[in-house]
Amino acid sequence: MVKISVLQHDPSSHLPTRPGDPTPISRNLNPNMHPFARARERTRALNAAKLDRIFAKPFVDALEGHVDAVEVLAKQPDSISTVASGSWDGGLIVHNLPQRSRMLHVPEAHKGKVSGICFSENSKLLSCGVDRNVKLWNFDSNGDEPVNVFPGKAAFNSIDHQRSSQLFATASNLVQVWDETKSAPISNLTLPTSTETVTSVRFNLSETSILASVGSDRSFCLYDIRTGKAERRVIMQMRSNALAWSPTMPTSVLLASEDHNLYTFDIRHLNAPSNIYKAHVAAVMSCDWSPTGTEFVSGGWDRTVRIWKTGQGHTPEVYHTKRMQRVTSTLFTTDARFVLSGSDDGNVRIWKAKASEKLGIVTARERAAIEYRGSLVDRWKMDKEVGKIARQRHLPKPVYSAAKLKTTMLDARRVKEERRRKHTRAGESKPTAERKKVVITEQS
Amino acid sequence: MARNSSGSRPPSSSKHRKPIKSVKKFNASGYAKRHAQKAAKSKARSDDFYEYAPEKSRRAKIGLDLDREEALDAGIGPSLGSDDEGDFEDFRKKPRLIGENDEDDEIASEDDEEIDSDAAFEEEDEDRFAGFFSSRSNSEDDNSDALEDESEEDEESDEDEKISISLSDAEEEATGALDDLQNFISSLDPSSSGNKRKASMDGGDFNNAPTQSKKRRVLRERTEAGTESEFRTKGAGLTLTDLLAPLGESSTSVSSLEKSVRALQPSSGEASKKRPQTLSAPLPQRAQERLDREAAYEQTKEEVNKWNSTMKRIQEAEHLSFPLQAQSQGKVSNLELAAKFKPTTDLEMTVSRLLASANMATDASVLQTEENMLKANALSVEEVTERRRELRRMRELMFRAEVKAKRVKKIKSKVYRRLRRKERNAGEGAEDPDEDNEEKRLRMERDRARERATLKHKNTGKWAQQMKKRNGYGEDDDDEGMRSGRAEIEDMLTRGEKLRRRIQGQDSGSEDDSDDTEEDDDDAEAAFNELQELRNADDDQDAEAAGKKGKSVFEMKFMKDAMIRRQHEANKMVDDFVKEMGGDLREESEGGDDDGEIQDDSSVVVSRAGGRMIFKPGASISHQQQVSNNGDAASAASSSTLKSNSPTSPITSTSGRKNSSRSLLSQPQASFSANATLNADINPWLAGSSESHKAPRKKNEVIVAKDSSAMAKSKNKLKKEARKAAGEKEKANDDAVVEIQMNNVLSLAGEDAGADSSTTRTMAQGKKSGDKGKQKALSSAEVQQDTDEDSDANSEVEEQERTLLKSKKGQKLQAIEQRELVARAFAGDNVVKAFEDAKRAEIAADAPKEVDTTLPGWGSWGGAGTTKVKPKSHLIKKVAGIDPKSRADYGKGHVIISEKKDKKAAKYLVKDLPYPYTSRAQFERRMEQPLGPEWNTRVGFQKGTLPKVVKKMGTVINPLEKLF
Repeated sequence: MVKISVLQHDPSSHLPTRPGDPTPISRNLNPNMHPFARARERTRALNAAKLDRIFAKPFVDALEGHVDAVEVLAKQPDSISTVASGSWDGGLIVHNLPQRSRMLHVPEAHKGKVSGICFSENSKLLSCGVDRNVKLWNFDSNGDEPVNVFPGKAAFNSIDHQRSSQLFATASNLVQVWDETKSAPISNLTLPTSTETVTSVRFNLSETSILASVGSDRSFCLYDIRTGKAERRVIMQMRSNALAWSPTMPTSVLLASEDHNLYTFDIRHLNAPSNIYKAHVAAVMSCDWSPTGTEFVSGGWDRTVRIWKTGQGHTPEVYHTKRMQRVTSTLFTTDARFVLSGSDDGNVRIWKAKASEKLGIVTARERAAIEYRGSLVDRWKMDKEVGKIARQRHLPKPVYSAAKLKTTMLDARRVKEERRRKHTRAGESKPTAERKKVVITEQS
Repeated sequence: MARNSSGSRPPSSSKHRKPIKSVKKFNASGYAKRHAQKAAKSKARSDDFYEYAPEKSRRAKIGLDLDREEALDAGIGPSLGSDDEGDFEDFRKKPRLIGENDEDDEIASEDDEEIDSDAAFEEEDEDRFAGFFSSRSNSEDDNSDALEDESEEDEESDEDEKISISLSDAEEEATGALDDLQNFISSLDPSSSGNKRKASMDGGDFNNAPTQSKKRRVLRERTEAGTESEFRTKGAGLTLTDLLAPLGESSTSVSSLEKSVRALQPSSGEASKKRPQTLSAPLPQRAQERLDREAAYEQTKEEVNKWNSTMKRIQEAEHLSFPLQAQSQGKVSNLELAAKFKPTTDLEMTVSRLLASANMATDASVLQTEENMLKANALSVEEVTERRRELRRMRELMFRAEVKAKRVKKIKSKVYRRLRRKERNAGEGAEDPDEDNEEKRLRMERDRARERATLKHKNTGKWAQQMKKRNGYGEDDDDEGMRSGRAEIEDMLTRGEKLRRRIQGQDSGSEDDSDDTEEDDDDAEAAFNELQELRNADDDQDAEAAGKKGKSVFEMKFMKDAMIRRQHEANKMVDDFVKEMGGDLREESEGGDDDGEIQDDSSVVVSRAGGRMIFKPGASISHQQQVSNNGDAASAASSSTLKSNSPTSPITSTSGRKNSSRSLLSQPQASFSANATLNADINPWLAGSSESHKAPRKKNEVIVAKDSSAMAKSKNKLKKEARKAAGEKEKANDDAVVEIQMNNVLSLAGEDAGADSSTTRTMAQGKKSGDKGKQKALSSAEVQQDTDEDSDANSEVEEQERTLLKSKKGQKLQAIEQRELVARAFAGDNVVKAFEDAKRAEIAADAPKEVDTTLPGWGSWGGAGTTKVKPKSHLIKKVAGIDPKSRADYGKGHVIISEKKDKKAAKYLVKDLPYPYTSRAQFERRMEQPLGPEWNTRVGFQKGTLPKVVKKMGTVINPLEKLF
């Protein structure tokens, strides 16, 4: 009988102790034993960047139902699934996102366009329109009749509800504060010298007594309902179309401007924006913060939706579809995973906030791999190849050419300015910072 | 008071309205004056008394005006009317001069006030200023009240003025004429300065103030004053001090009260002294609102600034896990659960029933039960105290043990630890160290016994069997015999063991391998002397034993042999020791003992060690002879080594070396040395020279006997190595010398070199001899300086070097020759030029160039008469190289810096420092550590790859909630 010697290993050294545990690994962690670690990591980073692009399929679904362009979108503050949209034809729909169903559909909620929607408490919804009415709806009872109507004197442009109270504010040519239980506005906060239309009004999310508005007189105005006054007004180079308050930075407010840029302002220092976000090639029509406060979404007249990282004023993530027209409203869902866009073509589109994210169950291993890939790309983004792949986005031709043209124009302007400075007395003083040019004046 | 008297307003009928208004106006105009006067007087007198004075002055004025009017219109009533200027003056001075007049004055003033208040304080005004007045303290006296009223009137004055202007057109012509006169009169008035000021302020309107109203007012005033004065108490006389008076001086609280009240008392006077405190005109609405907005903005900023710390934390956070403000899920305590619990299932019901029956269902009942049980136990106080004491003691002990353990744990001494470990081990075996020793001893004994048992076969000898038969008894049957017998047996056994060892070639003196102690010279001397003495004593004993020649076992041959051998061993030890210590015992021993030694010329050595004959080539002394010479102390080997050290007998030394069991030297060497010795014998010069002396001496020293100590061995080894190194060095030197001094070749060295090949030692020696030969040949004048007999090889090397140096120094010519030699040797190598050529080639290879890629024959005519076509521009390929002037080694003569780039490595390089990093070192440090699981621990990997924002799937992320 031949005796066979067999190498035996203790199973505990190479098998997980419990099912589901990570497999124990025994490796030499001495860096000298791994001379090619960097090369391997770079290759992995490159592959990760490529995989990220391969899996980048951001479009989730389109919600139909509106006859005309979708003017406004609003999310229910304490729900991840409920979203309302209003359109130019006066239609109002409350969507259930996961089920793709309509919880409320009122085709003729307002005469003319629905210009503003906001959610109240207890599955109630306020909408305002150019028909000079604010209507309160209950989307649980599924009735087509509004619960209450608040008549106004001018066409409303925007509405917003204070967080956890009965108050809401409307914007027409005035900024008025209403109580849900009262039929007339309880106060008028408009700046006395303001005569133009106010296009949008929003309550601060944390400091709930503060609200801000933007108007067609290129103004951004700050109000406080405690003092009952308009407190400060900023006149800018171009008018802003929308504004949004940061959910984590109570002093920070985001403006979507007509000059293709977005600006964040610190309300304590209104003489200059704290950040400028440049990438759109047409007017920015809407903006909304992610609930994490680290990102925000903007939709523009250039038919793109862009997702920005806070503090990074360039190269945002850009979403576009052939059939998506001018984006008039954008929204981040309350779980910060999805982005909604309402556009001129009458559809509400659902996008992933992170283009290559996998929907569905992700195991621990998978998640670890995803996180590893993410951090690899982040670390190696200074590498030429990796960075290029991670950065580069293919745009529709009109957008691309517009961006190119814009760059050319701006360059030309810059060069001209440089030359002017070189050959005139203007060169004696320091050039004005880009941020300082935005605000014309700050009024009190 | 004015307010109180507002009920008496009706008098101001529709007819009187206008005049009243004008009066009000007048009052307003005189306000300042009144105040000034009041202040001046109130300082002097705390009495209400002189309060009247300003009123008076005003009235005087009124009177004057009226007078004039009267004169013009043929007046209304006599009153003060007919007063002249002088009269007026008198009247004016009156209150000051006559104090008793106060009552009238008082009344008059009161009237005046009343009217004023009536006029000024209409119902709506009351409403308007209600808040303002209510805020004032109620404890203020009449004076302050009056003042207030007046000030209010003042406020109203603007409005009144307008009205008066519109109404007084009828009298304008009259007033215009009177202007001059009035001015004059007012200039006479001491308090006119205020008036003037007022006039200048108000302009012409004041002067045009209606006069009729004054007249009517005065009338009314007078009647009122007249009527009411009688029923009135001396209200003006009531002051705070009056009110406080009843409290008396007795109580101490009064003084403090007075103190607090004092602030109120003069206040009226001082306030009246000040300039009228008119409120400034409100700002235009726009400006006011702007200010409000600014203030509101500041407030909002302040409010928002409360978020600063939160925002900072969020901004600086490395990782954010949402939701940030986690909702605290209410934890349910056991008590809560217990309180809510209701038995539903059968089991629960049963259990609860059981508990209830045991009276343990609720906390209260459990407590009750326990108490009952305790009561039943009924412990006495003493028992309890006893128990407590016990417990305390236990605790104390435990604590101490703990403390001790801690202290012991801290001890780092290794020795202590070792001891501790031993102790612990011992503790496992036996508790007592003494017992332990005993046991150890026993165990050793047992071992020894076993060994003895194993060596039993040695007892197969005749004598041993006999001894066995005799039960260990010796020749004698008495105790001594037995003792000796036993000892002999034991002796035999040990001998047997040693024999065995010897046969196996082990070192018998292994017990000798203790460390050598460093003794100073004196000690060593003493030791040597002692040794010598011992030896002598031994010799004597031996001689005695030999002389005895008894029948004892000791007389037997093997015993003797054993004795001798032991002696030898002892001697060897001694010798070794002496040698080690470098003592010069050998001379003495030589002197004493070597007479008994006999040299044998026979080439075969027959040594008998431990009862076995060993045959070896070479001369030796026979042990038998030594033994027969009555056990010479020195053993064959040891003596031979000792002898060999003596310079006088080289032959003996070689023979001694050969005698040793180990043959270090190969045959040729041996023959050579033999030759040398022979030569030495033949040639006394050579023999006398240090060279011939040294060679054997050196050899002798190297000899390591099998039985010499490990110490000696190791020492020898070291020496050998040193010598080897030295030899090599020497060799190298030789080579160097040889290289240069080609002409100085000695034939003798060759012979030596031929001879040495087996061992390095001999080689070194051969070299040395060669060197010496050389040196002799080189300079016969140089005398060998090797006077010291030191055997160290290094010294020789040094010496050699020294000589070499000397020779060099001595002959500079030779150095020049060498340089020449070098130059000649490298004659063909043109290094500098080669380098320059190489650099040029490198630059040319890297330079930008144009390559003509035209294929000859294609696209051109051939044959005779064809012109050469210029190369087409598109076929000229331009290679963008590196401009020679932009090279890194441009202008650097002695280097070539390659401009080639490693394309594969370039992938891993970055052009600029990436954004978040502030320094190159930082960036490199970051990139140094890979991220992957292969190069990190599991936890490290997880931490390294954790994303900045972590969200919980399917949860609403709410905005920050205000918690402050």
